[in-house]
Amino acid sequence: MAHEEDDGPTEGGVTRRRPLREWHVEETVEAAVPVRTAYNQWTQFKTFPRFSAVVHDVEQVRPTVTAWTIGYGPLRHRFCVEIVEQDPDAYLAWRGLEQNPTHEGEVEFRPTGSGGTAITVRMLLRPHGAAQVLARSPAVTGLAARLVRAELVHFQHFIEGLGQEGGAWRGTIRNGRVQHDTPEPPRSRVAQWPVG
Amino acid sequence: MQNPPGDEPETALSVTPPKKWAAGVPAVVHALEYSLEQTSPRKTGVDLLTMNQVGGIDCPGCAWADPAPGRRHRNEYCENGAKHINDEATTRRITAGFFREHSVSDLAARSDKWLNQQGRLTEPMIKRPGSDHYEPIGWNDALGVLAQELTALDSPDEAVFYTSGRASNEAAFVFQLFARALGTNNLPDCSNMCHESSGFALNETLGVGKGTVSLDDLHHADLIFLVGQNPGSNHPRQLSALEEAKRNGGRIVAVNPLPEAGLRRFKNPQKPRGVVGRGTQIADRFLHIKPGGDLALFQALNRLLLEAEDARPGTVLDHDFIDAHTSGFEDFARHARTVDWDDVHAATGLTRQEIEKVRDEVLGSERVVVCWAMGITQHKHGVPTIREIVNFLMLRGNLGRAGTGVCPVRGHSNVQGDRTMGIWEQMPDSFLDGLRKEFGFDPPRPHGLDSVNSIKAMLEGRVKVFLALAGNFVRAAPDSDVTEKAMRSCRLTAHISTKLNRSHTVCGDTALILPTLGRTERDVQADGEQFVTVENSMSEVHTSQGRLEPASRMLLSEVAILCRLARLTVDGVGDIPWAKFEGDYGTIRDSISRIVPGFHDFNARVARPGGFQLPNPVNEGVFRTETGKARFTCNEPVVPRAPQGHLLLQTLRSHDQWNTVPYTDNDRYRGIHGSRQVVLVNPADLSELGLAQGDRVDLVSVWQDGTERRAENFRVVSYPAAKGSAAAYYPETNVLVPLDSVADMSNQPTSKGIVVRLEPVGDRVRDVRTAGAGRPR
Repeated sequence: MAHEEDDGPTEGGVTRRRPLREWHVEETVEAAVPVRTAYNQWTQFKTFPRFSAVVHDVEQVRPTVTAWTIGYGPLRHRFCVEIVEQDPDAYLAWRGLEQNPTHEGEVEFRPTGSGGTAITVRMLLRPHGAAQVLARSPAVTGLAARLVRAELVHFQHFIEGLGQEGGAWRGTIRNGRVQHDTPEPPRSRVAQWPVG
Repeated sequence: MQNPPGDEPETALSVTPPKKWAAGVPAVVHALEYSLEQTSPRKTGVDLLTMNQVGGIDCPGCAWADPAPGRRHRNEYCENGAKHINDEATTRRITAGFFREHSVSDLAARSDKWLNQQGRLTEPMIKRPGSDHYEPIGWNDALGVLAQELTALDSPDEAVFYTSGRASNEAAFVFQLFARALGTNNLPDCSNMCHESSGFALNETLGVGKGTVSLDDLHHADLIFLVGQNPGSNHPRQLSALEEAKRNGGRIVAVNPLPEAGLRRFKNPQKPRGVVGRGTQIADRFLHIKPGGDLALFQALNRLLLEAEDARPGTVLDHDFIDAHTSGFEDFARHARTVDWDDVHAATGLTRQEIEKVRDEVLGSERVVVCWAMGITQHKHGVPTIREIVNFLMLRGNLGRAGTGVCPVRGHSNVQGDRTMGIWEQMPDSFLDGLRKEFGFDPPRPHGLDSVNSIKAMLEGRVKVFLALAGNFVRAAPDSDVTEKAMRSCRLTAHISTKLNRSHTVCGDTALILPTLGRTERDVQADGEQFVTVENSMSEVHTSQGRLEPASRMLLSEVAILCRLARLTVDGVGDIPWAKFEGDYGTIRDSISRIVPGFHDFNARVARPGGFQLPNPVNEGVFRTETGKARFTCNEPVVPRAPQGHLLLQTLRSHDQWNTVPYTDNDRYRGIHGSRQVVLVNPADLSELGLAQGDRVDLVSVWQDGTERRAENFRVVSYPAAKGSAAAYYPETNVLVPLDSVADMSNQPTSKGIVVRLEPVGDRVRDVRTAGAGRPR
């Protein structure tokens, strides 16, 4: 478990991240693609089943909410995740919406000297009841770390293999809300008249 | 299947204690009992197993959202939905012989229940001027009569086109297009009578007239308010969502004048704990509020939140949200601090301590959703109440985030979609410009008539033709005697219907019954089998496709009827491909995709399993209001009062009822059996009024026009209604709702908060069997 005291990098004074102050898992991989490419592909959550060994389905409920179905063998578990902060080409933080158990996580994208991208994932597990003891067990956190690392490596190979992203969401999210920089972003263009 | 019942006089009223839980095994038994009375086991099976499934029938019973594909139960319906769908799939048929046997006068004397029970309409019928009988007529002649009347009008504004929420997106789009091609915006709809106040308030404050939440938001809310709604009877599938919210640790505050069973406990018949266990407690806190006290409640809560912020600055309000995304906060805050606790108590009947406990629930919750229904919208101050709910949510940033938002719970399955498709008398120029560009004609620009104003125009002779796309306008509308007089004053009334109802019997000089396919039935047109689309309460647009053979070979679909009528009436207007529309509904959707924002690639996207969800601008951080931000509002406090010896009446549905159609005379959740002619009154009020359970009374409403409106011969039932209030069934008591009694701004009839007195009648023979009535069990 580690701690981080600073508030992370800022961009022109507008970035307002809330990095995790403690975590159970921290893993980093370096992908040989530019930051923009890696970040853009990461925002395409519905494609995660294409490279992941455990993610079977992702529904994008709206920009800030996704529903994930993960599993191994015949086992399946569905849970919803809220993206609470998101800065293009830099950072994304999320938290599980389930109350028992739940988790928080963040992913950072940093350019490397060689033109690639260092991708770091940190996760804090928040189990309830007896599972809290398990979460403190090095065996459990070690297993979680290995799982996250394996998934990160899968993503690295996926985006390196593709060479370019298959889509992008370039919006910003603050405190769980989409921030828009145009008066009427495309997704807001729906019927406006009152519904009785 | 049994033969339709005769119109028996009501059986003896018996009253048992109200239930403390909803659904469970009895719901399954009642649903199957009614379904098998109506139709065969095979049809019941086909209907129920395809209902609310991907590629199946969208239940017409309510507009509640379906779980995502892959997460739906094999049996994804509720008791009322099952009854409703098989009520439509009934094997009973109404033929020409039926109308020879029963005159219009005879039918007009029958009950709503009896009319519905006669079965499906099978061929077009006409009542000619001076005749008291409907007689068969061919489709061409029937539509010809209607077209001739419409084209002979001095002005297109002498016609009114009413839409019920059962109509599909495709039928609704064609209907409004036809009306506008004819030259009028007279497009009243059932929305005018159910959630018009929601649309006005949300549009004004948030910039969009729809709810902002999805099922996932409800599942993950920390705190859910259920205000002025009865999910157990009117939206039973909402109980599953509430159950999941509770399993996730969420809490629920219910606010209602009646302690409804579905607000207390839910026994999910698809889960062991719902079959053999105690089920799930729904409301953690129940506020037994007076009718119309909700505005005062939320004003009091808002004052308490502001005071909590004063005590612990920076810890209660979401200043980031308020500063960046809202306008009007300072004025609102000043106004909110003036809320008077005596007024709050007088309006709500609640103590300050009760409200402070709710404040504590709010302070302990990061994510809050407020759901409401007609217990809010049908009050005179429905719009201010919803605006105050929006104020309440905005104070702590409970908008636009996961697990937060506004949730107006709608009744008719496509009531939201019909409005999206342009069924509104005040459509904006952007939409009308779209019609002009797509179809090459100039739609009329002056606003048309809503439901209340249509009735007034009929009474004054300004409207001569009334055409209804589904529904039962006469019974759904307020001031029944006045509405009936209005309908009878028309030159022609026509109804596109699946089943017989009172609107066919209270008719103009000429009357037409245009029988149509139901949701359960296959719809085969020139280009093959068709499906239609609907939009649910959570803005999800998806398909609906029936599997049963039509009730009669003579039935036309709603789209076909309207396109054929249009070709006879407005064929030369613009370049509208009516024949193509009839043959292939995909071409209608193509036009919709070019006109209605958010429907791009309509055909492709709706073909995906589960369809697609229309984004809500609020969830995209966009507030398309006058200020460009979400708007705090200042709402004047209202203390609903009834004079001495009077009560505030709310009309409501029984559990065994779908909109204007009662299936039986029972309301088992409330413990009422054998009669709908009852008025539920608090025991203390009964005592003060000198009445007792079983007394026969007339309900007489008090209104400023001095007209006496009377609902006769009701029996009093002692019931735990909020002190000072009474409740009686809709549509029987619509007669008490004055046409001019409407909600401010939305012009929605006020079916709640009607001032009534109870006048004892006849001998006080208390012929009612009771079993501990008035005491919840």
